[in-house]
Amino acid sequence: MAAAVVAEHVGRDYGAVCAVSDLSFEVEPGDVVGVLGRNGAGKTTSIRVLTTIVAPTRGRFAVAGVPHTRPDEIRRRIGVLPEGGGYPARQTGEEHLVYHARLHGASRAAARAAAAALLEEFGLADRARTPLHAYSLGMRRRLGIARALVNGPAVVFLDEPTLGLDPAGRRVVLDHVRAVAAGRGAAVLLSTHLLDDVEACCTRVLILHRGRTVAAGTVSEVVARAAAPRSAVVRVAPVDARRAVAILAAAPGVGAAGEALDRPGEVRVDLAADPAAALRALLDAGIAPLGLTVEGARLSDAFLEMTGAA
Amino acid sequence: MSGNRSAPGWWVVLGQELRDVWLGGRGPALTFAFSLILSAVAYLVATNTALNFLEQREAVGLIVQVTVAMGGILVVIAAADAISGERDRGTLEALLLAPVPRRQIAAGKLAAALSLWPAAFLVALPYVWFLGRGVGVVGDAVVVGLLVGSLLALELGALGLVLSLFAGSNRVSLALSLFVLLGLFAPTQLSAGAQQGWAGDLMLRANPLTAGVHYVGRVLVDGHSLGRDADLLVAPAVAAVALAAVALLASGRMRLRPGGAR
Repeated sequence: MAAAVVAEHVGRDYGAVCAVSDLSFEVEPGDVVGVLGRNGAGKTTSIRVLTTIVAPTRGRFAVAGVPHTRPDEIRRRIGVLPEGGGYPARQTGEEHLVYHARLHGASRAAARAAAAALLEEFGLADRARTPLHAYSLGMRRRLGIARALVNGPAVVFLDEPTLGLDPAGRRVVLDHVRAVAAGRGAAVLLSTHLLDDVEACCTRVLILHRGRTVAAGTVSEVVARAAAPRSAVVRVAPVDARRAVAILAAAPGVGAAGEALDRPGEVRVDLAADPAAALRALLDAGIAPLGLTVEGARLSDAFLEMTGAA
Repeated sequence: MSGNRSAPGWWVVLGQELRDVWLGGRGPALTFAFSLILSAVAYLVATNTALNFLEQREAVGLIVQVTVAMGGILVVIAAADAISGERDRGTLEALLLAPVPRRQIAAGKLAAALSLWPAAFLVALPYVWFLGRGVGVVGDAVVVGLLVGSLLALELGALGLVLSLFAGSNRVSLALSLFVLLGLFAPTQLSAGAQQGWAGDLMLRANPLTAGVHYVGRVLVDGHSLGRDADLLVAPAVAAVALAAVALLASGRMRLRPGGAR
């Protein structure tokens, strides 16, 4: 099966400003890819390039097998929830979906049927005739995702779909995102600042930094590649704690060690490498570790390390 | 359009825009404001004895000229909002993501803006009939008003659309459109002396708005035949076709950011 999205060294400049310098990655159908990056990393510009709103300055890409030189054809095969959403205040939910389905070439009858099905699927059927200015933020986001699906897209781009939502609203939106990939087989590119969202629903992750792809792969691959354990808590018998601190501080791969003031027997160590050497040093000194908790092996650490914010 | 066939993009955009203009309240509000102005003008020329110094034909001519001018203003207000308004409201990106050529989006929006002109003309018809009854000018007034008004509406609508495509904000688009409109109207306020001679005549004929308004006067007030002063329609016709072509060509460059590269 052809890749849903293939980008090769895609770049986009605005005058002298380089918004995206080198975007390279591949997405398979059914993948949910989290696109991560700090503010200004180029996430929104990347999505605008891939959705043909702006043309690339360099490089090439294909979406659903269609090369970027055929933007109209790409637009027929994608669904997009843009950063701003774009909800006309006076339109009703039903009117909005029918309009967009018809813009994608559906007949009036088919557009109405598609709108009714999507409103039902996204829990908005009872508000179908309500003007969008009366929708809550969560309802608008769900409607935006529904709008992105009116044409049965092969690839769905969602730019910050959970931004500003309460935890319940976020969960509902993320459930829908998972369902889009699992139920429809569409690839989803989810741009977000919220690492928890990525860990919760993405199968793969793409980290952008200063307009460049700095990591791409499954969540565990990216974490393993970048986020070496950063700190650990070693528990020993309280009487051995002071000696353990001295031994660990001198052990290879340990940056610093110190006794936890309020927890007798706990020694906190900063790790520069694998904790095995530190544990071996303790055992060699006749101190039996009672427990070891390694912290820092999370996507957030990988993200912070790769984007230079650690 | 059949319910089982897909419609062309411009037709879909037109349908939605017409709903926005007419059911959203903007069209009825603008038309109502126009009807108030027209009522005030008609009242003054028809019933106020102190101000009623116009012949019946002149009164009809004035009403048609006001209708043509105001119709143009209504159209330019709607067209100036067409793209920059979407941009300001954050709804343009969703529209640009649809697989509809941008010229078709612009054509649908221009056609919807133009719908304000026939509405304004319909509002004016009872006034024309009332003021023109008995002097045989009503038929000419309808033909001339429709002809000149349609040309000016197309020309001004296209102008508003072009400005809306490239303006940095909706306010700028609206302000620029009205400024250009005032500039076109300015020669009508010059003294009679300034409007005479070859320079005055050239200015009158070259400016599509003054040429159209003078054509209305020549036919309705001076009683000329429709064909006698047809040369006065050259500028409005050329401007309408040229500006509509420019608007459609320029709309191929419709961007999320005004004037930016795609």
